[in-house]
Amino acid sequence: MLHILRFAPRAVPDQVMQAMFAARKSVFVDLLKWDVPVIDGRFEIDQFDNRHAQYLVLAEPDGRHLGSTRLLPTTRPHILDSLYPELCDSDPPRAGDIYEITRFCLDRGLRAAERRAVRDTLVTALVDHALANGIHSYTAIAEFGWLQQILAFGWRCRPLGLPTPVAGRTLGAIRIDITPDTPYLLARAGINALPEHRRDEPRAAA
Amino acid sequence: MGMRMVSQFIELIDGVGCADDLMLVMSDICATLGFQFFAIAHHVDILQAPASAIRLHNYPARWADYYDGNALGVSDPVHRASHKTSAGFRWSHLPTMIPLTVADRRVLALGSEQGIGDGFTVPANVPGEALGSCSFANQAGRPLPEAMLPMAQLAGTFAFECARRLWSVRAIDSEEKTPVLTDRQRDCILWAARGKSDWEISRILGVSEETVARHIKQGCERYGVNKRTLLAIRALFDGTLTFTDIFRR
Repeated sequence: MLHILRFAPRAVPDQVMQAMFAARKSVFVDLLKWDVPVIDGRFEIDQFDNRHAQYLVLAEPDGRHLGSTRLLPTTRPHILDSLYPELCDSDPPRAGDIYEITRFCLDRGLRAAERRAVRDTLVTALVDHALANGIHSYTAIAEFGWLQQILAFGWRCRPLGLPTPVAGRTLGAIRIDITPDTPYLLARAGINALPEHRRDEPRAAA
Repeated sequence: MGMRMVSQFIELIDGVGCADDLMLVMSDICATLGFQFFAIAHHVDILQAPASAIRLHNYPARWADYYDGNALGVSDPVHRASHKTSAGFRWSHLPTMIPLTVADRRVLALGSEQGIGDGFTVPANVPGEALGSCSFANQAGRPLPEAMLPMAQLAGTFAFECARRLWSVRAIDSEEKTPVLTDRQRDCILWAARGKSDWEISRILGVSEETVARHIKQGCERYGVNKRTLLAIRALFDGTLTFTDIFRR
């Protein structure tokens, strides 16, 4: 089931949100060794997890996390303009119809075939979400090795700057343009949503 | 200046409709970057590989024949090194990236006898598909255009995706064909991959040695292989096991 959620600072985060923050800790801190804050020893939550962030979360009916991603409005401080402006050749794109994709996270408990299916479903959800909400482009920062995979989704991508070494990794910033034919481009590249994970009605987390 | 060049490359690559177009466009991009040769390839033995394996290059014919005749696609040190990194690398840095065997050094020396000098390879790895790369190279004695390497990296990545589209590359194993091990079979093959014998595994898991042998044999049957080494490799390839599983602890 796809959940579209917003961060609710003082309320107790619901189960789907909690599972997502725990999965993010497992992937980005434990596995990838990113130097990002951990709350309570269990949840990876940073300064961009605020009321402006939106989340697309794929979860089992019982709330178990499958995959998730965070969208940040580029009209507010986000990762590309706050932390890595050097990845862009000119100013980072900022507009009401451009969101930044961050923390794309596939649960570590998934097997290889499931990972691919969840990944494809989440990518499809990103495109559906953009088309339903007037988002015309996403921006994203990717380690260079991921870029080939991101291009292989079939959607239209453009680099925003040259690949740049940052702390031992080569990073690149990209812009992904979403148009009415993007769902067709994904399908042509073999990227399809799992049938049982159709969109849920948007709701608030608290 | 660099990004304008990259945008032009991507525009050219976007307009490609067939392999011949890509050949022309890549020859152009190659020259603009200050290289003479390029190769876009899946890392497979091309004489054994299915028609969907990508290969496009403008290397000298003599070099290409030697390369295919000796099935270097899978063991080429440049290809091996590109499995160790996701960023582009210079061929002259190979000795610091992977252990080179005597045969590797011979391949590299032979390449230079054939006139191929230093090169720059951009790894192109899409999960579930054959590993690949896009390389740019110059003849011996002609230096790499250092300032152009970041542009070459982006051009290589977009060119490889274009080739994927033209060759209609799909995942090696379709999902329904991927065998699934039981958790116990997976445990046994994990310990076997860590170098443990059946007896040692039986002590670790608290079962009999015969049970361990049976789990591994049944795991082999599910994958249609007859050796535990092959079972471990297949399980690694499809993600049933990961290198982290094996090397942790």
